[in-house]
Amino acid sequence: MGSKYPRSLRCCLPLWAFGLQVTFILLFYFLIGQDPIQADHKFMAIYQVIQDLTLVAALGFGFLSSSFRRHGWSSVAFSFFMLALGVQGTILLDYFLNWVLDWNMIKNPFSPFLSIQRATISTLPLLISAGAVLGKVNLVQLAVMVLVEAMTFGAIRVADKKVFRIEDHIIMMYGHVFGAYFGLTVAWWLSKSLPRRRHENAQTEKVQMTTSSSLFAMLGTLFLWIFWPSINSALLEGTKKKNAVFNTYYALAVSTVTATSMSALSHPKGKINMVHIHNAVLAGGVAVGAPSCLISSPWIAMVLGLTAGLISIWGAKCPQVCLSDLLLNPSGIHYTFGLPGLLGALTYYCLHIIAESRPSNLWIVTQTITDVGALSFAMAMGMVTGLLTGCLLSVKVWRAPHAVKYFDDQAFWEFPHLAVEF
Amino acid sequence: MRFKFSLIALSLEVVMIVSFALFVEYETSQNGSQKSASQQNASQQNAAAQQNASQQGNASSPAKEDQFFQLYPLFQHVHVMIFVGFGFLMTFLKKYGFSGVGFNLFLAALGLQWGTIVQGLLHSHGLKFPFRIKNMINADFSTATVLISFGAVLGKTSPIQMIIMTILEIAVFAGNEHLVTEIFKASDTGASMTIHAFGAYFGLAVAGVLYRSGLKHGHPNEESVYHSDLFAMIGTLFLWMFWPSFNSAIAQPENNQYRAIVNTYMSLAACVITAYALSSLVERRGRLDMVHIQNATLAGGVAVGTCADMEIPLYFAMTIGSIAGIISVLGYKFLSPLLAHKLMIHDTCGVHNLHGLPGVFGGLASIVAISWGKSTVSTMAMQATALGSSIGSAIVGGLVTGLILKLPVWNQPPDEYCFDDSVSWKVPKYRELDNYFFQHVTHNHVEHEV
Repeated sequence: MGSKYPRSLRCCLPLWAFGLQVTFILLFYFLIGQDPIQADHKFMAIYQVIQDLTLVAALGFGFLSSSFRRHGWSSVAFSFFMLALGVQGTILLDYFLNWVLDWNMIKNPFSPFLSIQRATISTLPLLISAGAVLGKVNLVQLAVMVLVEAMTFGAIRVADKKVFRIEDHIIMMYGHVFGAYFGLTVAWWLSKSLPRRRHENAQTEKVQMTTSSSLFAMLGTLFLWIFWPSINSALLEGTKKKNAVFNTYYALAVSTVTATSMSALSHPKGKINMVHIHNAVLAGGVAVGAPSCLISSPWIAMVLGLTAGLISIWGAKCPQVCLSDLLLNPSGIHYTFGLPGLLGALTYYCLHIIAESRPSNLWIVTQTITDVGALSFAMAMGMVTGLLTGCLLSVKVWRAPHAVKYFDDQAFWEFPHLAVEF
Repeated sequence: MRFKFSLIALSLEVVMIVSFALFVEYETSQNGSQKSASQQNASQQNAAAQQNASQQGNASSPAKEDQFFQLYPLFQHVHVMIFVGFGFLMTFLKKYGFSGVGFNLFLAALGLQWGTIVQGLLHSHGLKFPFRIKNMINADFSTATVLISFGAVLGKTSPIQMIIMTILEIAVFAGNEHLVTEIFKASDTGASMTIHAFGAYFGLAVAGVLYRSGLKHGHPNEESVYHSDLFAMIGTLFLWMFWPSFNSAIAQPENNQYRAIVNTYMSLAACVITAYALSSLVERRGRLDMVHIQNATLAGGVAVGTCADMEIPLYFAMTIGSIAGIISVLGYKFLSPLLAHKLMIHDTCGVHNLHGLPGVFGGLASIVAISWGKSTVSTMAMQATALGSSIGSAIVGGLVTGLILKLPVWNQPPDEYCFDDSVSWKVPKYRELDNYFFQHVTHNHVEHEV
């Protein structure tokens, strides 16, 4: 191998980022047009949702991934970059897909608030995936991953909507599962292509926390926890929106109590693991996302939160027993977003069947095919395109950081003089 | 602690779920229309009004739906205050940050479930009750009392003791709140009396019963370091920013809510100025104390709560805030040592100075405001009775709870392990930079490349 010094991004990053932004501006000019924006009626309600989503994305996911003592700066800042890139890219993609698929209809006027709302909620899977790969890639690789994943999720949304006839709300909830397994697959591939011993040494030393970085991660967790009801109800209206908020509120409360208890139970001396608290308390909100508008009694949401909390702690402890490469992932997105998301999808399917009075067998078969098919399609696309993206990111042109520089801010940031731990 | 804590928490969780299955249901169009029908029967004086009401049955549905969307942003602000504000405010101890924010989340998550049940049963007299946005806000309010009391006993109790205190305190709080609002019909919009004064004196009573003579001369872990004070400031800022929502969340819509927001805003701003001034004044060399800034700057929000929605002029709200700031700083400087040495009540967070005294002052301010005719929804006697009831039930409930917590079966940590995360948490191997900071102060290089 060549030099062990961090590879300079001096030419690569500015060129790539600047080129992307110029491309976006040109595409906005030609695709969306030059007319001044008119105010929608009821824009203030949408604005509140946009603010909640942005807060969750920038502050919640940003700080949630900042728990490693040498990687705090990169986690927060790179998440911020990905959010800005993802929202712009998704707005363009949505407009393009609508234009292509409805080419024979009259062109709809561009609604910026609705577009921003959908684009922001579509960026959440990207930030979930980032949790799996942050620390092992540089900003250029992250930009490439954002673009590939945004396009993939856009395609999934169109397919789920047109082919499987799934509602927008459910598609967005499946996005958590898609994002989780996309990210895990990319991370698996990146770790696959490294010498094992060196990789493990790099992780062991730097995947450490200090109390302050753990508290910063807790700040992110709390913002996700507080605003998750807004995520789960962002695309719903009326009574469905209310029920989604109420159900998420109690599912999160129950998963918090359950996760804390199980974390203490899983330690030989009864100590609570802060890493479990960072992630598992969110499991209830993820699990209740898909069925949130169908649940008609709060105790069902609470049972779901209880189950999600148990699954999350079990998932966190299991890798030490199973020793699977795929699950050796420090950010815990498998047991925070993957497993609870699957639980939520299963619950949605069951409630969907139960809600129909005297369903015919044909209807049940049809619903099974559409519900399970849509979820399977999202997962399969996540894994397949994750694998392809992993291959793509391994190309030398992106100047990937050396394995010994994983989880290290020093490769990307100029440090103050007295940063003595580096 | 391994099995006892887990089993107690999980058992309580199962009890909560069963209670919710039995007593809580979501509001549907049916029980919504039932309430409309009862309202129609009540207005028998006007037959035409009855017909109009029945014809406009559909119109009432958008109105109720609109209330949710009006109050949901305020609920979110209260939610941020409970979890981020109170949570990070308690991270000021150098070795207790995990417990401060972690147990805050746990107790609040448990408390809001229990608060929903207890308050709902009291209001519905034991029947099944529909769940609305106001139930959520009131559930968060009930957890606020627990978090205030948690501040008084911070660092000296085990998680099991805190679970028990949460259950008992919310029950007492719900009873007192029901008494104050339904029996006495007193006005306490921002809950200076029912939440802040109650929570503070409940916690002080528990702290008094659980007093440890071994901590009389201080404890090496009971201090802050530079970064832990900065973390606590995160909590302070979020509390300060969202307090107008806290004080206005359950006010009557339109004018009352508007007044509550504006009065709280101005009171908080005035409080900051006087808190900084007093903090500098009471220190021998005129320097600021971060403990005062973290806490006393919030006293204005506490104090103005009771009369926030009354028709008081702005200068009255600003005066309340200024006086509250003064009271709070003087309390931190002089009263807390007095409580600890003379009355043997160790108040870790100083909740007496931030919530107790400003809460009492807020109740008294509401009596003054009513005597000036600024509100007609209550009387001076009822306000005084509400204040007395809140403090009295808090002290009695706190003493009883303290005696229960004093039983030696709850895994209470010994004196030498107070204020230490490692008793309950898996703590990272690396601590903070402070240990290295001064050792390397003469070096200007970064670590060598590997």
